[in-house]
Amino acid sequence: MSRLGDLLWRFPSLGMAWRNLGRNRVRTALATLGIVIGVVAIASLGIAGVALQQQATTDLGSLANEVTIRAGSDSDSDGVTDEQVEAIRSVVGGAPVVPERTNSTTLSSRDGEEAFVSVTGVSNADALYSVSEGDAPERLRSGALLTADTARRLGIELGDPVTYDDRLYRVRGIVESDGGFGGGSELVVPISAVDDREAYDAVTVVAPSGDAAQEIVSRLESRFNTGDEEELSITNFASVQENVNSFFDTLNLALLGIGAISLVVASVAILNVMLMSTIERRGEIGVLRAVGIRRGEVLRMILTEATFLGVIGGVVGAAASLGTGLVIFEVLAGDPTLVFEWRSLRYLGYGFGFAVTASVLSGLYPAWKAANDLPVEALRG
Amino acid sequence: MTVVALDDAVKRYRTGGEVIEALAGVDFRADRGEMVTVIGPSGSGKSTMLNLVGLLDTPSEGTVRLDGRDVTDFSEDELTEERRSEIGFVFQAFHLLPMLTAAENVELPSMWDTARDRSDRAVDLLGRVGLGDRLEHTPEELSGGQKQRVAIARALINEPDVLLADEPTGNLDQDTGRTILDELTRLKRAEDVAIVAVTHDEQLVDYADRVVRLVDGVVQ
Repeated sequence: MSRLGDLLWRFPSLGMAWRNLGRNRVRTALATLGIVIGVVAIASLGIAGVALQQQATTDLGSLANEVTIRAGSDSDSDGVTDEQVEAIRSVVGGAPVVPERTNSTTLSSRDGEEAFVSVTGVSNADALYSVSEGDAPERLRSGALLTADTARRLGIELGDPVTYDDRLYRVRGIVESDGGFGGGSELVVPISAVDDREAYDAVTVVAPSGDAAQEIVSRLESRFNTGDEEELSITNFASVQENVNSFFDTLNLALLGIGAISLVVASVAILNVMLMSTIERRGEIGVLRAVGIRRGEVLRMILTEATFLGVIGGVVGAAASLGTGLVIFEVLAGDPTLVFEWRSLRYLGYGFGFAVTASVLSGLYPAWKAANDLPVEALRG
Repeated sequence: MTVVALDDAVKRYRTGGEVIEALAGVDFRADRGEMVTVIGPSGSGKSTMLNLVGLLDTPSEGTVRLDGRDVTDFSEDELTEERRSEIGFVFQAFHLLPMLTAAENVELPSMWDTARDRSDRAVDLLGRVGLGDRLEHTPEELSGGQKQRVAIARALINEPDVLLADEPTGNLDQDTGRTILDELTRLKRAEDVAIVAVTHDEQLVDYADRVVRLVDGVVQ
């Protein structure tokens, strides 16, 4: 006998159940397949929901983390003043505060192609922009950054010059298109290159997270805007993030519901298989009862069979779901290893747990029925 | 010493609207070390009697005694315990579990007693019925006579006081039937058990210490 067999026989219900399942391998395999499909449905749909949510959050990018401050309707100046910037810095603590001046211009390539771009003048470019090529310096004093789309269209590469306000700037970084609302064509130049006004058009505060951004918004509101007076206009897209999250929570629930239906179908299949197999073995169970096997022991044996189906189906299903999850994350997020994060991984646990629970519940009735059959009736077959 | 007894046992069945009296007041006893053969045509009530003696069923009237104790009103769970420790069964169709080896089949009645390992006794019993070299064979690898020997070994695993055999030779040819009956005769002495064999096969009469003839639910 195999080592596994020896171990199982220490628990007679396990050993008997294992052998019984081995008697009709095709039926056992099909019942297990039903459970596998149910688990894969639950776990893969759950993981797909997580992947979609993660991708949507990434697409929204820094938007939710950024707080944009402009001159309010009751402001005396036509922008955000240096004093206000200092006040903002003191309110937000350590988060980067980036004053900006904006304008627009038309860039043209050597062969006459033109592109309309918005121009942003900043000093600490690294806080706002991430580059795919070149660098975004902490202090932008010379050179410029250009969005990738525009650069491609105009045939501009790293190190090429662009003209703004009759001055040449060498492109030192290509900015990834954000994909969010801030996306579009943008030329980033040193702040000194845009206007020479005192005030700034906007100030962006980069918070570590969406929640922190909202916290900063409320602090700034109470510092600058009292009652009906709006000294500064403060905007943040964290609420968009919240809506997105809530949408995906609903979507996930719906997906899990669909997955759960397939597991319910699978557990009905197990109920059927267990019922059939106990009816077929009625005489045999009668023999067990006749030779003195207790009702509880018969019940445990059959319940164990159902549990085995659930555990095997759950393990195989979880493994298959992990594979599916790797593919889903590879396709949606480009990084398959993200599936190993707990928020995805837990759906494997849910799927397995549901599978075992559904199988045990499905086994209860057949087990109870077989155990309580009168031996003298059962022996007649 | 009387091991098992029926006192004026009556068993009625209700089939459809009709009440059938399968046993109409039967007195019966079996003593340690004797083989009692209950013989009768089909429908005579001998299977019903065996079910009562084997504690698989309870009488409509009368008393069942096991080792002098009145077990008539025992609950199903109590009867199970008595069957487990005091009674061994041998069936006409052997009723071995196909997924278990010969040794495992013999151990079956004691399998859930994990505190008590009966595997040595199972091997010993199989050796005594001449199947010492068939321990790991499954039932489908055994002949009819070998299966019935395994069944006899299984009936004896828990050292019962009484061994009940329902048509033990019914599925076997004459020669094989004889060897099984020789085996039972040997074991009844060696194990000091009462053997109650129910049959319509007159061959069993030759092996019996006592013959009980049953016709229409009445002992003749």
